[in-house]
Amino acid sequence: MYKTITTAATLAALLTTAAIADELRAPEDVLQGLIDDNESAYLTQSEQNIMMMPDNAALWTAEEGKDLFFEERGPNNKSLETCDLGKGPGVVDGVYVELPRFFEDTGRVMDLESRLAYCMTSIQGFSPEDPEVKRRHGSDSDMMKLQTYIANRSSGLPWNPPMDHPLEQAMRDAGEVLFYRRAGTSDFSCATCHTNTGKRIRASVLPNINEPHEWTKAISWPAYRVGHQQVRSSNHRIRGCYWQMRQPQSIPGSDAAIALMSFWTDAARGEPAILPDKKR
Amino acid sequence: MTHPATHRSPVHGTPVHRSPVHRSPVRSALAAAALLGLSAAAMAAPPAPEAAYTAMSAEELADYLVFEAGGFDLDAKTQDGGTARERMTQDRTQKVCSAIARSGTDLDRATAAKISALADDTIEFPEDGVALGDWQRGEEIARSGFGYRIGHRVDNHDERTPGGNCYACHQLDPNEIAYGTVGPSLTGYGRLRGTSEAMLKHTYQILYNPNLFFPCTTMPRFGHHGTLTQQQIADVMAYLLDPESPVNQEPPQTADAESADTD
Repeated sequence: MYKTITTAATLAALLTTAAIADELRAPEDVLQGLIDDNESAYLTQSEQNIMMMPDNAALWTAEEGKDLFFEERGPNNKSLETCDLGKGPGVVDGVYVELPRFFEDTGRVMDLESRLAYCMTSIQGFSPEDPEVKRRHGSDSDMMKLQTYIANRSSGLPWNPPMDHPLEQAMRDAGEVLFYRRAGTSDFSCATCHTNTGKRIRASVLPNINEPHEWTKAISWPAYRVGHQQVRSSNHRIRGCYWQMRQPQSIPGSDAAIALMSFWTDAARGEPAILPDKKR
Repeated sequence: MTHPATHRSPVHGTPVHRSPVHRSPVRSALAAAALLGLSAAAMAAPPAPEAAYTAMSAEELADYLVFEAGGFDLDAKTQDGGTARERMTQDRTQKVCSAIARSGTDLDRATAAKISALADDTIEFPEDGVALGDWQRGEEIARSGFGYRIGHRVDNHDERTPGGNCYACHQLDPNEIAYGTVGPSLTGYGRLRGTSEAMLKHTYQILYNPNLFFPCTTMPRFGHHGTLTQQQIADVMAYLLDPESPVNQEPPQTADAESADTD
C-alpha cells in the first residue's frame, strides 16, 4: 500500500507505526478493562451495547474509510497517503489520540475533521463545497468513514494531546472556559451535566469530566449511536449538546469547536481510547 | 498520571487588561478576507493566529472564539424574536457563576448574597397574587422538553407550546421511572410542605429565579428568561403542591415497606 519510501523520516515513521500497531486493542477489550478497574454507573449503563461491541456497525464504516484513504481520487487523483495527521505523511496509527495539535503548515491547532478537510482540499484538490468535504454527518459520508478508520487505529492507546506549543495550551485553556460558560435561556453550560458522577438526565447516566475513566468513553468518537443508527463524530456531539443547551449551532472546524476538543481530550489524558465506541 | 495542562502556561500568563491592538492581526486578516470576497469555507485556513491568541487571557480568547472567530451561527433568529448572538451574551449571574464553577471553589457568602439579591430584584409576581393553576397542565409542562432549541432543528412554538423539562433533572410522580437526578427528588413536594401562602410564594420564586435561594444553582431561571409564563409557573406549582397531583400520592407499596409495617 505504501508506494514509495523516499526519505529516512518516512522510514522512521513507519517503524514507529509498526511498534504502535502492536499496542492497539479492540474497543470492547478497552471498555471491559475500564469496567473491571472502576466502579461506574456510566460505563456499565447499557449491558446490550457492551454485548454488541464486537459487532459494532462502526467497524464496517472504518473498513470503508480505509479503502477511501488509499483510493486515488479528487481532481488531483491522489490518495491521502501524503496527508500529515501529526506524525508525518501517511502515518495513521496513533495519530488520533494526539489530536487536536498544532500544525506548522497551517499555523493552527487542528482536530481530525479539520485536518482531513485540509488534506482533501490541498492534496486531492477537492473544493470545500464538494460533498466529499462538505458532508460531515452520517455513516455514509466520506468524512465519517475516514474519521472512523483513522480513529480505530488509535484504539486502546492513551489520550495524549500535545501541549508543547503555546497555541495548544491557549486553545486548551479557552476550551476550559467554554466548557464552563453558562449562557442562553436555560443558563446551561457543558459543566451543568458533566461535572457529577452517577447523575442522570431522565434515564441516561451522564459522564463526569473529572473522572478520566468515564471521560475517555464520553469523548471516544466516532461511535455508533444506536438511537440514530449512524456513526457520529465529536462535532456531531458538540452540535447536539449546544442544541440541547438552547445555544447557537456550533460550527465544525471553528476554533471554538477545536478549543473545546483540546480541553476535553486533555481531561481524558492517560486513559485508553475506545475506538470506535458504541453509545445509546 | 501527569496533567501538565492544568498548569497555566507562562506564555500567556495573566494578561487581564489587553488593548484591542493585540487582537488586530486576526481582525485585520478577517477583514481583508471579507474584502476579497472569500467565503467562510474558502477561509478554512486563515493566517496563523498565534500572536493574537497567546496575547489574550483564556477568558478573552474564549469570548473571541464565540463572537468573532466563526464558532457559532450567531445570526440565526430565535423563538423569542432575537438572535442567537444574544443567547451567547452572558448576563452578570451567568458570568459570575461560570467563573466560580470553573475555579472549583465554593461560592463565598458575599458573592452568594449578591447573586441572590440580583435574583430578588428581578422577580415579578402575578397581579392577582400567587395561586395554584391546573396540575394536569403542569404535568404536561413538567414532562415536555420541547422549546427554545435553535440551530439544525428549530423548535416551532406556533406548533407546540414549550415545556419546562422538569423530569430531565427531578423525580416527581413516584410512578415515573425515567426521571433525572441532577436536581433533588421532588416526590411528595406538597404532601411534605403543605400549601400555605408562604409555601406558594416560595415555590413561585424558585421557579421564577432559583438563584434567590440557591445562588449559582444549575437550575434555569424560567420566569426571569420568560421560558415559562406566569400561568405556566402556576400550573407547575399545582403539579408540585396540589394534593390531587400524582406528585403527592403515596409511593407504591414495596415488599420491604409491607414487612416494615408488620415488624
